[in-house]
Amino acid sequence: MTAPTDIGLDGLPPVEPYRPTLRDRLSGWAFWIPIVFMVLFFALPMALTVVFSVFERTMFWMEPGFSLLAYENFFFSARLENFLASMGYSLISVVVSFCLGFPIAVFVRKSVPQAAQHRVVLLFILPFMVSEIIRIFALRPVLQRNGLVNETLLNLGLIDEPITALLYTHTGVIIGEVLSFMPFIVFAGFLAMEAVPKFIFEVCDDLGAGPVRRFTDVILPLAAPGIFAGAVFIFVNGIGVALIPNIMGGPGAVNAGLIATQAITALDFPLAMAVSAIMMATLMGLLYIGHRLFDLTKILAPMN
Amino acid sequence: MNQFEFTRRHMMALMGTAATAAMLPGVARADEGLKFWAPGIARVGEKDWSSMEAEAGIKLTPIAKSARADESIQKMVVGDGNALYDAMTDNGGGMEDALASQNAIVELDTSKIPNWSIIEKRYLEGGEAADTIRYEGKVFAVPYISNADALAFNHDVIGSEPDSWEVLFDDQFKGRAALQNDFGPTLTNTAIYLKQSGKQDIENPSDMTEAEVKGVCQFLIDKKKAGQFRTFWDGFQNGVDLLASEEVLVASCWEPIQIVAARKSGKDIRYGTMKEGHQTWNNIVMLTRGGRERGMDETFYKLVNLYLSPWFGARTLAALGFTPQMTGVLEYVDANPDLFDAATKATINDRLARKKERLAVAGNSWQNVFPTNMRAYQDWWSRVQAA
Repeated sequence: MTAPTDIGLDGLPPVEPYRPTLRDRLSGWAFWIPIVFMVLFFALPMALTVVFSVFERTMFWMEPGFSLLAYENFFFSARLENFLASMGYSLISVVVSFCLGFPIAVFVRKSVPQAAQHRVVLLFILPFMVSEIIRIFALRPVLQRNGLVNETLLNLGLIDEPITALLYTHTGVIIGEVLSFMPFIVFAGFLAMEAVPKFIFEVCDDLGAGPVRRFTDVILPLAAPGIFAGAVFIFVNGIGVALIPNIMGGPGAVNAGLIATQAITALDFPLAMAVSAIMMATLMGLLYIGHRLFDLTKILAPMN
Repeated sequence: MNQFEFTRRHMMALMGTAATAAMLPGVARADEGLKFWAPGIARVGEKDWSSMEAEAGIKLTPIAKSARADESIQKMVVGDGNALYDAMTDNGGGMEDALASQNAIVELDTSKIPNWSIIEKRYLEGGEAADTIRYEGKVFAVPYISNADALAFNHDVIGSEPDSWEVLFDDQFKGRAALQNDFGPTLTNTAIYLKQSGKQDIENPSDMTEAEVKGVCQFLIDKKKAGQFRTFWDGFQNGVDLLASEEVLVASCWEPIQIVAARKSGKDIRYGTMKEGHQTWNNIVMLTRGGRERGMDETFYKLVNLYLSPWFGARTLAALGFTPQMTGVLEYVDANPDLFDAATKATINDRLARKKERLAVAGNSWQNVFPTNMRAYQDWWSRVQAA
């Protein structure tokens, strides 16, 4: 009598070697999808943008070559001035958006019942479901010389002359950017506030920390990655979205997006590519600094 | 009958039909209509293109187009525009040269356009607008609208009828004036003003030297720094809103902007005649190389014949304020009293008279889409914006 072959030395059946199923094999590859996506739709187009920016301009298009003329045209002309000015105004928009938007995020996190928090945040996302051009255009009847704001103030006797600084000025651009992009800081701030445990507010109260100290020493450091991410969203949109200076700005209000658009209109494609590359470098630089300072991955890893 | 046999027989029939259609591309394509890449201003009558299709006896497949020059170049020279469009529109005075030189559009046979006989004389050989439809002396385009851009002003508020670009730069309208955010028309009109008023030596306002561009832009920069301009308008609706809301009282703009602003606001917003001159321009229709290869010539010629008919001229003038490109419009309106009521007829008469007046100003300068010193125009315009 011989021992059955399917029994091992320890008296148990031998373990079958692991054979991954097709699904297992595919799921392994699935992790590459985000990388492939980013390479195809972000890294590659960006690399091509840089390559095209050093091509030679022709009458209607461009041809392969190496020329820094587009960059020279950007850095040694009024375009740089325009670009820096638009960065300045975007920075103001970031600060105003933060001052108005972040308290909303703190309020929602601190005072709104947990079950209702996401619904309240949703209210701030709803405007994004309306086309941006409609949202911006809708501001004009409100802010213009004979618009709602001026008419109301005049009727109340609070002003004698219409306020003309609200539209077709840099202030108008900032108002447009704040109203368009503030939801970014509300949303990012809300996510960031998930990193601030609710009991912290009670601990601060128990220890007698005032609202200012609670904000500067506790909330701000914990929520910094989210605040920075929201700020970058607003800043980058501020320098890149051509629509707002176009509709709300004064004579010659311009940002990087408009500089690129105007270069395309004038068939100066290398210049348009150079402006795009500079914008992208600005964004990457900001993200790098932010990551080094705040570790931006924390925004997706709430403590509680 | 065997089911397989039935299916196979039908399949053979279908293949036969397809093969026949393939052998007769012109017939097959004609059924699809002329793929016409054009903006809404190329249409009159109903809100769709049905009036024009019925009048021309053709079928159109319109594809919406913006007025941006880069879009045409990218599609027709770099992209696949010839596969997509049979015919297209754009600015005359440069675009026809660009597209013809790149073999994107084809030469036209004017003998196949019966209404060519009534085209405005300025388009004939030797006319001041002859070059705007020709490349190397051959006709490549047919004009369908044109105008001489002038100054719109709020007569209710300013109470006078300005006849000079001077008001645009006058201190009394500081902060209530607007220019177009486009270096082409804005620099050309400013150059016309500076030249004709003797403030600057400029040879050709439509094709300035670098020094001339610098001089014109420096003038605008000084005015801008002094707070003269409320804004630089961009886009039709933007221009309308500025005038209708009284944000600005004077603006250099397209005539349809003035018409719509006046209609929308109910205010007396008028369009002037500038004694120094105006930038004159036209829009043209072209047959693409792809359109010819697909056998769309006949349909195209029917369409451009309609564009050169008083039927179209009277309607574009009444509805949008554009200048008809043919003679005989008033006679056509008189002959069709059932189509044009007294008010419309008066509007047509008035607009046509004022256009003739504007077109007769000696200082006018035809639009140049691609000026020789384009780079200088671009660079100096960015300085105006930054100032």
